[in-house]
Amino acid sequence: MKKFSLKDILIPSLALFLICTVATALLALTNGVTKEKINQVALKTAAEARQKVCADAKTFEEKKDSNGNTYFEAKDENGNTVGFAITTEDKSYGGAIEVMTGFSADGKITGVEILTIDDTPGLGMNAKKEEFRKNYIGKNGALSVSKNASADNEIQAITGATITSNAVTRCVNSATDIYNNVTGGEQNG
Amino acid sequence: MAEKKSLGKEFTKGLIAENPVFRLVLGTCPTLAVSTSVSSAIGMGIAATIVLLCSNVVISALRKVIPQKVRIPAYIVVIASFVTIIQLLVKAFVPALDTALGVYLPLIVVNCIILGRAEAFASKNAVLASALDGLGMGIGFTSSLFLMATVREILGSGTFLSGIKDLLAVFSSDITFNGFKIPFLNENPLTFFVLAPGGFFVFGIMIALSNKLADRKGKPKAELHGCASCPMAASCALIAEDKNCEEVKAQ
Amino acid sequence: MKIALSLLLTAILTNNFILCKFLGICPFLGVSKKLNTAAGMSAAVIFVMVLATAVTYPINLLLVKNDMEYLQTIVFILVIAALVQLVEIILKKYMVSLYNALGVYLPLITTNCAVLGVVLLNIDNGYNFWQSMVYSLGGGLGFMVAMIMFAGVRERLEGCDIPKALQGLPITLIAASLVSMSFLGFAGLVDNMFA
Repeated sequence: MKKFSLKDILIPSLALFLICTVATALLALTNGVTKEKINQVALKTAAEARQKVCADAKTFEEKKDSNGNTYFEAKDENGNTVGFAITTEDKSYGGAIEVMTGFSADGKITGVEILTIDDTPGLGMNAKKEEFRKNYIGKNGALSVSKNASADNEIQAITGATITSNAVTRCVNSATDIYNNVTGGEQNG
Repeated sequence: MAEKKSLGKEFTKGLIAENPVFRLVLGTCPTLAVSTSVSSAIGMGIAATIVLLCSNVVISALRKVIPQKVRIPAYIVVIASFVTIIQLLVKAFVPALDTALGVYLPLIVVNCIILGRAEAFASKNAVLASALDGLGMGIGFTSSLFLMATVREILGSGTFLSGIKDLLAVFSSDITFNGFKIPFLNENPLTFFVLAPGGFFVFGIMIALSNKLADRKGKPKAELHGCASCPMAASCALIAEDKNCEEVKAQ
Repeated sequence: MKIALSLLLTAILTNNFILCKFLGICPFLGVSKKLNTAAGMSAAVIFVMVLATAVTYPINLLLVKNDMEYLQTIVFILVIAALVQLVEIILKKYMVSLYNALGVYLPLITTNCAVLGVVLLNIDNGYNFWQSMVYSLGGGLGFMVAMIMFAGVRERLEGCDIPKALQGLPITLIAASLVSMSFLGFAGLVDNMFA
């Protein structure tokens, strides 16, 4: 066991090296084929989400606000601004959560889409359901979560998933902040 | 063990008699993790089956070329390559499945079923037999996942095959069928079943049932006995060369 | 500091690797029969998890820089396998007492999905180096908590009168279900502590 002959080391390492090379080459090939498609999928998903939260929009223009946050300005066919789509992130039960919020030109929420979420199926994942997301539509200003929502600025929590409800609401609220920053800035300037 | 078995038997043994999940108790992590919905279970099963089939074929074809000493790293490289290829393809063509499976998709690499079959079967048998073995084991894995997921999704979410549209989108984007809603359960789901404890519970009951069936046929129970049949036996016998296993057992 | 503590507690309690994320179920069921085996195994897992994260983090930066993210899985699993072997050799040669305590478990860890899982999750979650280290440590500690707790439960099960159909693996899984349910109680704990 102590002394290996050259052959004992060389042949196995050469074989392993060859297998690795072939494997890497195959992967590079697959990557080359699929890369374009994967990028397209990501762009398409984002575009679809924007269209969902700002249903009236025809085109979107990517912009940055004074704090460096990216947002999309929604325009109709005449180039008039009809709304905004803003993506924000926060921490939820199972990790990061990414939410896109749509605003109409007068600052009302027109739609909420959950872009990424990694919460418990059956509880937190219910945030993706329309029953929960439609809670936000038509509201404006700072929102809070309640188990028995009655007031205008209250959102009905998902049963058994208060943390997720809170996380989504925090995302929507920070989107509202960005919206206020954007529109407030435009009025002043 | 596999001296004079017919090829048909290599295929069918993985389905019931040597079902990887319920009989050999392998691949428990993905079984528990992705069985919350039938659609992701099917997706996971198909992905793992493809990897299993391809890696079994390649490893069997290379079995005389791969030096004994580096066979485990070599198997791992082969398996990891196929997993990555599947991962890239899924990302490109079934993005919804990639989202649903998350980290469990790359984790197919460490699925004990695949490395276990490579070492126990493909490294000793001809290509065709290995392919059939891989396919049978893969289908056995998929059907066990399907069974677990059916129970968990129907009871826990009150739906069946929900989200299947995203899987079928590979064939045609016009399909609008998106699963069934189970009356009553849909309004009043027993959420326990889709949560982590529900996974352990359903799996336990399933093993109990399969033990019962095995018992009736005079077959031994699915058990975890020290190293001989522990779910790590495949990987641990591989890497530890049995010696360490004996030590673990002795302790 | 606050972020680190919250990450640590999240990984140990609310998102326990075994009981909530189902990573590392094999050793959880296979090596939890005796308390000291469970402790030894988890110590080895913590060690390898932290080490693997420290090694793979710079490698990942290199891969991303060269636009080769698609090699992540294959590179990481090989690095983990090589690392485990290397640690085993070093321990065997220079730290015999530590080797006797952890060594036997090391080979079992290469294919432990919790180790590859933590490395991939760190990248998915976009943690920086220190956050990754803390998260790995937390993941490992969570693994240990679950293993040791469950070993205790199983030792109790030994002497129980269990219905014939459930004896062996089924009752173990049902016990795991109950332990896992108790961890659901931690939901929201971390968020409310640091809110």
